[in-house]
Amino acid sequence: MSPWILPILILLPLLGAALVVLSHAARARSIAFGITLGAAAMGVGALASFDWSQAGAFQGEVGVPWVPALGLSLSLGVDSIALLLVALTLLLGPICVAASATAITERVKTYYAWLLVLQAAMTGVFCARDLALFYVFFEFTLIPMYVLISLYGSTNRKRAATKFFLYTFTGSIIALAGLLYVVWVNASAPYGSGEWTFDIATLQATSVQMSAQQQGWVMLAMLLGFAVKVPLFPVHTWLPLAHTEAPTAGSVILAGVLLKLGTYGIYRFVLGLTPEGVMEHAHALAVLSIIGIVYAGLICWVQRDVKKLVAYSSVSHLGFCVLGMLALNSVGVAGSVMYMINHGLSTGALFLLIGMIYERYHTRDMEELGGLARKMPVWSTFMVFFAMASVGLPGLNGFVSEVMCLIGAFQDNTVAQEPFVGATPGRLGPWYAAVAGTGMIVAAMYLLYMLGKVVWGQLREPADHHPHPRLPTDLNAREIAILSPIALLCLAIGLFPAPMLRAIEQPVNDTVQWVWKHAPSAAQYAERDMQRASTSIARGEGDR
Amino acid sequence: MHNLAGPLSQVASSADVGVPAQGPAWASLIVFLPLLACALCGVCAIVPAMRRTKLPAWITVALLGVSFVLTVLLYQDVSAGEHAKTVLVTSWEWFHLSWGDAPGQQFVASFGFYIDSLTVLWMLFVTGLATLIALYASEYMSHDVGLGYCRFFAAFSLFVFSMACLVMGDNLLLLYLGWEGVGLCSYLLIGYFYNEAGAVAAAKKAFIMNRIGDLGLALGIMLTFWHFGTIQYAELFPLVAPYVEALKAGDIGQIPLVVQAIPLLLMVGAFGKSAQLPLYVWLPDAMWGPTPVSALIHAATMVTAGVYLIARTYPLFAVSELALPIVAWVGTLTALLSATIAMAQFDIKRIMAYSTVSQLGYMFAGLGFLTSTGAAFHVFTHAFFKASLFLCCGAVMHGFAGQLDLRRLSGVSFMKGWGIVGIAMLIGCLNLAGFPLTAGFFSKDMILAEAFVTPGPGYALAGWILLVTAGLTAYYTFRVFFRVFVGPQHAEPGDEVHAHDGHDAHFHPHAPGWAINSVLAILAVASILAAGTYFIEKEQHGWVGKMVHGSTAAEIVVGEGEHAVRAAAFRHDLVGEHAIHGESHEPAGDHATPEEAGGSSIAHGSFLGMDPHAVMYYVSSLFGIAGILTAAYLHGPRGLFGLFIGSRTEAATSRADALVPALGPLVQWARHKWYVDELYDFLIVKPLWVLSHIFHLIDQLLIDGLVDLMGRLPSIGGRSIRPSQSGVLHGYAVGMASGLAFLLLLVWLLTL
Repeated sequence: MSPWILPILILLPLLGAALVVLSHAARARSIAFGITLGAAAMGVGALASFDWSQAGAFQGEVGVPWVPALGLSLSLGVDSIALLLVALTLLLGPICVAASATAITERVKTYYAWLLVLQAAMTGVFCARDLALFYVFFEFTLIPMYVLISLYGSTNRKRAATKFFLYTFTGSIIALAGLLYVVWVNASAPYGSGEWTFDIATLQATSVQMSAQQQGWVMLAMLLGFAVKVPLFPVHTWLPLAHTEAPTAGSVILAGVLLKLGTYGIYRFVLGLTPEGVMEHAHALAVLSIIGIVYAGLICWVQRDVKKLVAYSSVSHLGFCVLGMLALNSVGVAGSVMYMINHGLSTGALFLLIGMIYERYHTRDMEELGGLARKMPVWSTFMVFFAMASVGLPGLNGFVSEVMCLIGAFQDNTVAQEPFVGATPGRLGPWYAAVAGTGMIVAAMYLLYMLGKVVWGQLREPADHHPHPRLPTDLNAREIAILSPIALLCLAIGLFPAPMLRAIEQPVNDTVQWVWKHAPSAAQYAERDMQRASTSIARGEGDR
Repeated sequence: MHNLAGPLSQVASSADVGVPAQGPAWASLIVFLPLLACALCGVCAIVPAMRRTKLPAWITVALLGVSFVLTVLLYQDVSAGEHAKTVLVTSWEWFHLSWGDAPGQQFVASFGFYIDSLTVLWMLFVTGLATLIALYASEYMSHDVGLGYCRFFAAFSLFVFSMACLVMGDNLLLLYLGWEGVGLCSYLLIGYFYNEAGAVAAAKKAFIMNRIGDLGLALGIMLTFWHFGTIQYAELFPLVAPYVEALKAGDIGQIPLVVQAIPLLLMVGAFGKSAQLPLYVWLPDAMWGPTPVSALIHAATMVTAGVYLIARTYPLFAVSELALPIVAWVGTLTALLSATIAMAQFDIKRIMAYSTVSQLGYMFAGLGFLTSTGAAFHVFTHAFFKASLFLCCGAVMHGFAGQLDLRRLSGVSFMKGWGIVGIAMLIGCLNLAGFPLTAGFFSKDMILAEAFVTPGPGYALAGWILLVTAGLTAYYTFRVFFRVFVGPQHAEPGDEVHAHDGHDAHFHPHAPGWAINSVLAILAVASILAAGTYFIEKEQHGWVGKMVHGSTAAEIVVGEGEHAVRAAAFRHDLVGEHAIHGESHEPAGDHATPEEAGGSSIAHGSFLGMDPHAVMYYVSSLFGIAGILTAAYLHGPRGLFGLFIGSRTEAATSRADALVPALGPLVQWARHKWYVDELYDFLIVKPLWVLSHIFHLIDQLLIDGLVDLMGRLPSIGGRSIRPSQSGVLHGYAVGMASGLAFLLLLVWLLTL
C-alpha cells in the first residue's frame, strides 16, 4: 500500500472544501460530489493495494515529525479494521452529498465545505498512529458537526448542537487526561521509554505495565470520552436530540461514522492500553451495555417521532457492539468490528429513508404520516429491507455482527478441557448473552411497530400536504441510486461475511491475545472458573 | 405387534459412521431456484409490461416445479441402496473465523446442505405442496394482478427458499437463517392485505411471538457452540454420539448438564415456530393472510419446522432427562386447549387454524413419546390433508366474497361447480377426524399407541387426553362439514363484494376454476395415497418410518427383538436395567401380553391391560366415530347427509344452540379463546408498554435532566464567583500568576 494514499485521503476533502469555498455556490455540490467520489475511488484503490495476508500489520505508514520536543509526529497507518472503517467513511461521503441535493438549498457552500472537512477529520481518526494526532482529529469532528446541526438542522437545532458539542467535548477532555497520563507514565516512570512520545505502539507497551488500579483509572477516563461518543447508557442523552435535529446527511454521518469513533476508540485504546482494566471491569461495562440495549429499545417502542425512534435504536444497537467487544474473545470482538460497519450501513440507510420522507411531508410524526406502501412502493420496499437488516434478519448484514457479538458474550472463561471440547474463553457468560438477546425481541417490537405505522395500514398524510415541487411521489432515480449500493452491501455482507471476517481475523486475534496476555489476573480468573466448572461437573455426577 | 428392533438398531449403529460423502452439486439448485423465482418476481414488479400479467405466478410454479423434480431425483439418489445415505453439498463458506488450530478454536458455518432421508422427506412435501399451492394461488390471487401479485409470489418463493435452507442447511446457523427467513415471509404474507389494521397487527404479532421463540433457539445454538465447539451437523453428531452411547449403557451420569440444557433452549424455538403453548396465539391470527399462504405456510410446512428441529437434533433431546417429557406434555396440552377453542369458533378458517395448532400438538407429543416416526408421519399426512382443507376453505372464501362464517353458508357441495371442493373437503375432514383407514388415522394412531407404550411421567394420562382430543377433533371437523358443505343450500356473501366486482350489491358466487379444482383433486388423491405409505416397508412403520430411521431423527433403541427398548434419558432407569439384563431374557411369545413377556414389561406400558399397539386402532376409531356422530346429531342436516340423525333445516341454527346455555360460561370462554390473548396483553404487553413510557420519562427528565443540571453548574458557579470578575486589572494579574504557579508546581511534582 503506497504511503501516499492515506495522506491524500485526508487532504483531498480538505482541498475540496477550499475549492467549494472559492467556487460559485451553484457548483458547490458538484465539486463536493466529485471530491467525495474521487476519495471513494481512492478508497477502492486502498482496499485493492492493501496486503490482506498481513491484515494485522499497519500498512501505508507515513511519519512526519510534528513537534519533536514533545514527541508528536504526523504518523498515519491502517490495519484492516481501520481500513474498513475508512472505507465506510468514504462510501458514505458521496452518498451524503447526493442525499443533500434537494434538502439543502441555502448556504450551500458552507454546508458542503464543512461536510468535506468532516470527512477529512473522520478519515484522519481511523488513520492516525499518533495519539495526539488521533485526538486532534477526534475532537475536530465536533466542529463541522456542530455547524451542520446548528445551521441546517430542524426546529430545535441550536439546543441540540450545543448539547452535542458540550457533552462530547466534556467527555473527550477527560479522555485526553487519561491518554496524557499514559504519555506521562511512558515519559517518566521506570518502565517507560523515558522520552516523550505519542506513538501508539510504544505507549501500548508501556501502558500494559501499569498496575491494575492505574489502568482502571485510565480506562475510566478514556471511557468517559469514548462512551459518550458510542453512546453507552447512561451518557447517551445527547444522541436522540442531535440525531433528530440534524439534517439527513448529518444523521447519516453521525450514525454511520461518528458513533464508531467511540467504539473504535474503545477497541484501539481501551483494549490496547488497559487490558487489565478492561478485564477487571468488563462485567460492569457489559451490564451497562445490556441496560442500554433493552432500555433504549423499549424507549424506541413508544416514540412518535420516527427519526427519534431510529436514533434511540442506535443506542440499543451500539450496546450489542460494546458487549461483543467486552466479551474479549475473537468471535465477540470480530462481531463488534463487523457491527461498526453494519450499523453504519443499515442505520445510515434508515436515516436516508426518513430524510426522503421528511423532504416530502415535512413531518416525522408517525401519527400524522403512515401507510405509505401503496403510495410509495419503492420507498416502502427499501424501508422494509433496511428495517429487516436492522432487526438482524439472517441473510442480511445486521445478523452477522449481532449473532457474533452474542456468541462471543455467551462464552465465559471456562478453559478448554474435556468434555468441554468447544469452550473458548471469554470474559462474560451465558447470562449476559441471554439478557442481551432479549434485545433481539425488543428490536423486532420497535422496528415492526415503525413499519406498521409508516409503511403498512391506511394512508395517512398531514392535512396541509402538497406535493414537493422537485420530487416525485415515490423515489426518484437519484434516491434509488443512493440506496441501492447500501442495500447491495447489506445483502453481500449478510450472505458472504466470510471474506470480511477473514480480513479482520488477524488484527482481532492479535488484540484479543494482547489483552489476555497482559492481564495477569486473567489466569486467576480462568483458574477460578475452571474450579467452578469442575465442581459443577462433579456435582452433576453426584446427582446420580 | 410392532417389531422395534432389527432395522432400527442396525440403522442406529450405522448412523455413527464418519464424515458424510459429498453429494451431487445440483442439489443446491433445490434451494436456489426458489430464490431465483423471488428475484424474477422482483423484476416483474419493476417492468410494467410484465407486472400486468400473471407471469410471476407462472415463473414461481415453473421454478418450484423444477425444484420438486430435483427433490425427487435427490430422493432416488439418497435412498438407493440398502441404507439411506447422508451426503453434504457445500455452496460457500458463510461464517469463518478462527483463532487457533485446536479443534473448537474456530467459528464456522457454511452455506451448505446436509442431506439425509429426513431432509428429503421434508423437502418432498415442501416443494411438492409449494408447487401445487402456487398453482392454486395463480387463480386465487388473480384479483390482485399487478404489484400485489408480484409481491405475493416473490414472498411465496422467498418462503420456499427459506424453508429449504431451514430443512437442508448443514448447520444450526443456516437452519436459523431459514427459521427467521420463513418468519419474515410469514410476516410479509400475513400482512399482505396491509390496508386492514387487523392484518398488520397479526403480522407483527406473528413475527414478535416467533422472535421470542427464536431467542431460545439462538441461545440453544450458542450453548451448542460453547460446549461442542461446532454447529455443523456433520461434526456435531459424532460429538453427541458418546453421550448416546452412555445413554444406551444406562450411564446417564456421563452426560453433562450443559448438554442436557441445550434441548431445553432449542425447544423454545420449536414452540414458537410450531405454535405450541405458550407461544401459539399468533397462528390463529395469521389467518389474515391469503388462504394459499395459510395452507402452505401456516398448515403444511413452516409450522412443522419445530417438529423438524426436534427430529433433526433428536439425539440431543434423547440424552436430556427433562426435554422430551416437556415436549410431550406441551404438545398434549396444546392439542387439548386448541381443540376446545376450535369447537366454539364460527370462522371456518380459524377452526382450521386451531386444528393445526392441535395437530401440531400431536406431533410434539409423538416426539415426546419417543416415536419420531409417528411424529414425522403425522407431519407428512397432515401436510396433505390440512393443505387441502385450507384450500377448500379458500375456495369457499374466494367464491363467496370472503364469507367464512359457518352460520351463513350451507350445502355448498350441492351448488353447481362445487362438487370437487365438496369431495376434497370430505376427504380432508375424514383424515383430520381420524376416520378408520385414512392417512390421518394411521399417523395419529401411531402417536396415541406410543403414549400408552412408553412409560414416562404421566404419559398414560397424556394418552387419554389425546384420545379425548381425537374425539373433539372429529366433532369440530365435521361440525364444519355438516354445516357448510351439506344441508340446505344457502349462501350470504362476505364483506369483500366491493373489492371483487367493483359494482356493489351485486353478488354472484363463482365456482372455482380449473387451477383450484385440479389442485384440490390432486391433494385429495395425495391425502388418500399418503395412507398407502404406511403399508410400504411395514416392518419399519411405513415408508416415512424408513426415511426417519435412516436419519438423525431415528429413535435410539437398546436391546433386540422383543426386548428392544426405545432409549431416552428420562427413562434411564429402565434403559440401564435393560442394558444389563436385556440380553439374558428369554424371548417372549408372539402373542404374549406385556405382563407375561418378562423383559418387555418394563418396556411396554399397557392400555387397560391390553397391548396398546393392538387395540389402539379400535379405540381411536371409536373416539373418532363418536365425534363424527355427535357432529352429525348436532349439526347434520335431515336425511342421508346428516347420517339420518341430524335435523338441521337452516344454515344458521342447529341443535347445538340449545346446548350453549346448558354449558354456561364454558362456551363463551372457549369462544373467546380462553382469554389467553387478553391475559398476555394484561400480563406482558401492557406492563411493558407502561415500563417503556416510564423509561422514556426517566430518560428525558432524570438522566437528561441531570446532564442539563451539570451543564448549568458552570454558569451557577460563574454567578457565585462573579464578584471576582471585578474588572480590576491587578486582580486578574494575581489570578494569572497564581494559576501559573499552580501549574508549575504540578509539573514539578509530576516530573519529580
